[in-house]
Amino acid sequence: MPGLVWFVIRRLFSALLVMLALSLAVYLVFYAIPTDPALLACGKPCTPDRLEQARHFMQLDQSTMQQYLNFLKGIVAGRSYGEGAAVLHCDAPCFGYSFPLARPVSTLIADRFPVTASIALGAAVLWLVIGVSLGVLAALNRGRLLDRLAVGFALIGVSTPSFLFGLLAILVFGFWLNMVPVNGYVPLTESPVDWAWHLVTPWLVLAVLQASSYIRLTRAQMLEELNLDHITTARAKGAGERRVVVTHGLRGALVPIITLFGLDLGGLLGGAILTEKVFSMQGLGDLLIDSVGNLDVAVVVGVTLFAAFLVILANLVVDIVHGALDPRVSHG
Amino acid sequence: MADPILEVHDLRVTFDTEGGLVPAVDGIDFAVAPGKTLAIVGESGSGKSVSSAAVMGILPSNAEVKGEVLLDGRELVGLPDDELRKIRGNDIALVFQDALSALNPYYTVGWQVAEAYRLHHAVSKKAAFKRAVELLDKVGIPDAARRAKSYPHEFSGGMRQRVVIAMALVNNPRVLIADEPTTALDVTVQAQIMQLLADVQEEFGTALVLISHDLGVVAEVADDVLVMYAGRAAERGTVRDLFYRAAHPYSLGLLGAMPRIDVPPKPRLTTIPGSPPSPGSIKTGCPFQPRCAYTERVGERCITERPELTPRPGEGDHEAACHLGRRPEVVS
Amino acid sequence: MTEELLRLDEVRKHFGLSGAPWRAAQTVKAVDGVSLVVRKGETVGLVGESGSGKSTLARVATRLLDPTSGRVQIGGKDVTKLRGRRLRPTRRTVQMVFQDPQASLNPRQSVGTILSTPFRAQGTRPTRAQLIELLEKVGLSAEHLERYPHEFSGGQRQRIGIARALAVSPELLICDEPVSALDVSVQAQVLNLLADLRDELGLSYVVVAHDLAVVRQVASRVAVMYLGTIVEEGPADQVYAAPAHPYTKALLSAVPMPEPGVTRDRIVLTGDVPTPISPPSGCPFRTRCYKAEDICATDRPVLEIINGQTEHRAACYFPEPPPPERK
Repeated sequence: MPGLVWFVIRRLFSALLVMLALSLAVYLVFYAIPTDPALLACGKPCTPDRLEQARHFMQLDQSTMQQYLNFLKGIVAGRSYGEGAAVLHCDAPCFGYSFPLARPVSTLIADRFPVTASIALGAAVLWLVIGVSLGVLAALNRGRLLDRLAVGFALIGVSTPSFLFGLLAILVFGFWLNMVPVNGYVPLTESPVDWAWHLVTPWLVLAVLQASSYIRLTRAQMLEELNLDHITTARAKGAGERRVVVTHGLRGALVPIITLFGLDLGGLLGGAILTEKVFSMQGLGDLLIDSVGNLDVAVVVGVTLFAAFLVILANLVVDIVHGALDPRVSHG
Repeated sequence: MADPILEVHDLRVTFDTEGGLVPAVDGIDFAVAPGKTLAIVGESGSGKSVSSAAVMGILPSNAEVKGEVLLDGRELVGLPDDELRKIRGNDIALVFQDALSALNPYYTVGWQVAEAYRLHHAVSKKAAFKRAVELLDKVGIPDAARRAKSYPHEFSGGMRQRVVIAMALVNNPRVLIADEPTTALDVTVQAQIMQLLADVQEEFGTALVLISHDLGVVAEVADDVLVMYAGRAAERGTVRDLFYRAAHPYSLGLLGAMPRIDVPPKPRLTTIPGSPPSPGSIKTGCPFQPRCAYTERVGERCITERPELTPRPGEGDHEAACHLGRRPEVVS
Repeated sequence: MTEELLRLDEVRKHFGLSGAPWRAAQTVKAVDGVSLVVRKGETVGLVGESGSGKSTLARVATRLLDPTSGRVQIGGKDVTKLRGRRLRPTRRTVQMVFQDPQASLNPRQSVGTILSTPFRAQGTRPTRAQLIELLEKVGLSAEHLERYPHEFSGGQRQRIGIARALAVSPELLICDEPVSALDVSVQAQVLNLLADLRDELGLSYVVVAHDLAVVRQVASRVAVMYLGTIVEEGPADQVYAAPAHPYTKALLSAVPMPEPGVTRDRIVLTGDVPTPISPPSGCPFRTRCYKAEDICATDRPVLEIINGQTEHRAACYFPEPPPPERK
């Protein structure tokens, strides 16, 4: 399908432009804030001389535009800070260097991403299963108790702030019932059981919150689908209710559900800020928040770009999956 | 007449809606013998489509069906759903009006025809698909083996209707109910489809119940005709009885209201004033009375007393439900 | 010669069509070179099957759509290039009645509001009496003014659609499938209404329909469309009695007759109308034609006078001879 290849290339190219604009915007915003990141690195006592030295070392004494160009150049060719014995090399592709954390941004993202990905992927599977099954059940029992319960659950889900729900979960499961660890992250490679055990509460918290929109979407889609003529056809063919609902009804409802799912997941992979904070997990969201506090512009730009890339990628994947799921799009 | 394969006696369908109980079909009788065609004629709200759905047992759950539906002597009303399911699509099959919406957009047409076969035969998917291709070929889809892998939207309207017919015929049903099978089609394609249905009837001795508002189509293919108005039978008889000896003012009105190409146009068409009543809106008397030109001649009876079907002169069991004893004269 | 209300010269309307974003766009040649004249007092029937481009042509003729090429003249004025405000005078000459009155009437507006909209579009404000007069013209009455579309039956809604078109006292109504959404008994009422309005107001019509019997009932002249072109055109009596184009002949023969037991010679065409994305070369009908020969594939036939009838034209190399005179 050469058409598809071209489509992907075009989309990736436009993604590149979007990310260029985005990174420039982040730079400009950061330099509009009247504070000086060099102050934090200056040490004590901070004499004007030492401050100037720090500024020079961090290349903050150059114009905003020049700094931005340095950043772009670093991606292609790598960059180094300072000279002589104190020189710091950041190899290409260099997305900047975090002075407060003393690590290249790319290394930081590589370290933190597995945490965020673990949280997001696990939760995503859960909320998809919960949301779709409750949505289908609600649609099939329209107006009855089950429907009202599901809709009520969805309402609570959308209106509860995630940190409140997360703290409650920690309180109940972690402290009162003492069932699960209250914080921390264990890499999957170290111990899969511990990994899952530490993640189970954040998964549930995120899933319950996110499931709300999936319940409502699935319910609405199913109600619409089940009213279509081809559902009557399926019944007239002699199909049983299960087959009518799943094979014929849910199949049609799937496209918008998968679309929403892809976009939600893409967004979450860029950092589940509140969840990570509440459960003290060092993911991308946690990194981003800390870096904003530290005026660590390199990390903020890096994480923002990474998150943006994931969202764009999710959009692209959703478009392709949409085509694959709906023959009316792919077989024009 | 040969023994009927499908007999319907005093069929009543009531919908339980928010606005109360709505009678959609109010006691109709009909029968159709193998190889014969019964046409049910009526306008919107006449209950003609509801009747066919009632025979198939595919009405929504808020519908209550009373009366007898006998398939080869076996009572279908009140059968448990899994018993009915074995009959649906197997002994009685349905052809819908709008083939585009009657087919599931997400599956290939071959899959959908094969599904109808698999629902009633314990065969492999492959064998069922082979049977589907066979049927698609039979209904005149060129290059059926390849086209079976296409999706509904990739077919023209006429070809889609052929697919729907193939799906209905795949189990060699004894009764075929076609609900406005050609209304959505162009006239040249309509001629093809009607020819196809006639060929099928001849080859398999299928009984056909044709639901239509097109009197031209009815005149060409029907053996017997039932004219429905407001959920009741206005008139029934052979096709000649209806077209040459219409006894009900409504039947006569329909014939006069129809523009024709075979005679020079009249300056004005005969019209029936007003529009068809919504189901259940006329409680007493003759449902057609508010639109009838003969009420004055008959008098009070039309308003107070509901006319029953009474014998009229004709070829066979010609009956009309009208207080006007003799045949109304043709107004033009 | 009577006044020309509408003149179309070699009008084309092509649409771009795209499926998935990674698929190349295709061009649908919905209308592909149509010339047509409508004179005062005429009712021209535009018949054709789905995909023939008849509805698109109607929309180009009312300038609801811009033609891709060609010229549209309304009331003797070239309006091809006019847009927006400058089309207002045109709207006073030509109005459109749509197929589905359910879809073409705003459900949130009362009939009174719906009927005043065309006045306001012309910068005037109708009096209540004017609105009532409009309603009465189409067989409704003052009591209907405050009601909403859903309170009406299909036939009444179509009457409202017609009343709205009449608001600016147009000379030509272009009706796109005006009765195809209606029940048979109601269809006849609307067809009679159109005839009455023609007699009372001296209206002219273009009636677009797939139903040949409907067109026969109302039209004085008929144009038969196939795949974006007119294949036959002429006085209704002649076209129906002696169709010259094989397509018209097949089309007419396919119409079922309400005469049980009477068998007719039917030309059953094979296959479906080809897609207007890639119409056949030469004559658009040749792929389904029972008379097609080599020449039909190479050159597109043009509309030519046939059988010595000055008004009756067909685009065919092998037109049907006129039927033998009946005594």
